Amino acid sequence: MNSIVEFFESIVMYFEGLDVDFVLNSLSLLLLGALVTLKITLVAVSCGCLIGLFVGIAELSGYKCIRLPAKIYVDIIRGTPLLVQIFIIYFALPAILDMRIEPYVAAVVACSINSGAYVAEIFRAGIQSIDRGQFEAGRSLGLTWAQTMNKIVIPQAFRRTIPQLGNEFIAMLKDSSLVSVIGFEELTRKGQLIIAATYRSFEIWTAVAIIYLLMTLTISRFVAYLEKKYNSSGNSNK
Amino acid sequence: MIVIKGLHKSFGSNEILKGIDLHVKKSEVVVVIGPSGSGKSTLLRCVNYLEVPSSGTITINGQTINAKTNINQVRAEVGMVFQHFNLFPHMSVLDNITVAPINVRKKTREEAEHKAMELLVRVGLAEKAKSFPSQLSGGQQQRVAIARALAMEPMVMLFDEPTSALDPEMVNEVLDVMKDLAQSGMTMMCVTHEMGFARQVADRVLFVDHGKILEDSAPEEMFSNPQHERTKEFLAKIL
Repeated sequence: MNSIVEFFESIVMYFEGLDVDFVLNSLSLLLLGALVTLKITLVAVSCGCLIGLFVGIAELSGYKCIRLPAKIYVDIIRGTPLLVQIFIIYFALPAILDMRIEPYVAAVVACSINSGAYVAEIFRAGIQSIDRGQFEAGRSLGLTWAQTMNKIVIPQAFRRTIPQLGNEFIAMLKDSSLVSVIGFEELTRKGQLIIAATYRSFEIWTAVAIIYLLMTLTISRFVAYLEKKYNSSGNSNK
Repeated sequence: MIVIKGLHKSFGSNEILKGIDLHVKKSEVVVVIGPSGSGKSTLLRCVNYLEVPSSGTITINGQTINAKTNINQVRAEVGMVFQHFNLFPHMSVLDNITVAPINVRKKTREEAEHKAMELLVRVGLAEKAKSFPSQLSGGQQQRVAIARALAMEPMVMLFDEPTSALDPEMVNEVLDVMKDLAQSGMTMMCVTHEMGFARQVADRVLFVDHGKILEDSAPEEMFSNPQHERTKEFLAKIL
């Protein structure tokens, strides 16, 4: 009995020091951090989509000199930890190039290059899943290779890859927490900083987790909505 | 219009076409028949370079096609209709038909849509302009595919088993459009198993087997008095 009472007393004591100011201050700091997290994810995945589109198409090229570099890029990025990639871009590259890189720049570059490799694989699979007859029909009408890709194949591949792109976005949102190690103040780093000043480890990490969860849940709902919109009623969209 | 000389095509060590010589004149309707795997589809696909010939030459309207030819220009003049329609599922019927005229012929959207509507009337599907391919029956989809090819105002039309993937009841609506097209003077090459169509519409029927043209004659001749042993055997099985 005693130990249970002590347990609850200790919990009550832990929360006694909480006041409204602390909660509001911390929350506004964390929400600012969440905004930064969202921003870096958005930029990284957008750049990743651009890189991934070209690399994904390059992976399908009939020319080995185009295909090979694309495959090497994808293999290296997917085969090494994002954390190590961040260290290489933030610490290793500036050391040999004798220059300084801002944490923000390093974070965006590392996440974009990382995302690019995953998106490339998503697009490659998406393009491969489109029936070859679609490509042939486009070419048989006199459309160039680029026009056929642009108007016929990629729009269909893109619709088909919405769920995977959504997953990539969610994964990147969570993985972007790794850039906290180079001092870039996104959500996780903000949490660390508040804890360093207040020692409120439990509340802050719980709040950080909940904020991440709310963001990922919202995004997965949005992706499900997009998926439904583009895949129902005979693709009746432009 | 189409002159093919010494056409060979191999896939790896598998030789599909073993020397095809053929001359299709303007406004002629040539039907290609033969057992599956005989190379008749490959022959058709070589004409617009969807398959690159291993050797031999193909000349369309005086222009010889090789690796240096602007193939897009040639394809713009050669319409193709596929067995599985290959309509673009993410576009409306109207957009399916106008995408090539707008992007290849550089027509304005208005011009292209006007022409598309004319063609849809011709194939009997004017009310389906805003529909999407998935909302159409197979026969309707194939008629749209024909309209899509015609929108480029091609000199030649290639049909690769256009009715093979259709329910029997929809075959005739597609054949009717093709007959109408043949009567309007279009130069056509059709790979088909529709012998009734061949008999009625073709100027010439080619029998292809094992990568060679075994027999090339008028339909009456081909169906009533085939010369080659292999042709007799084939026709006996399907007629």
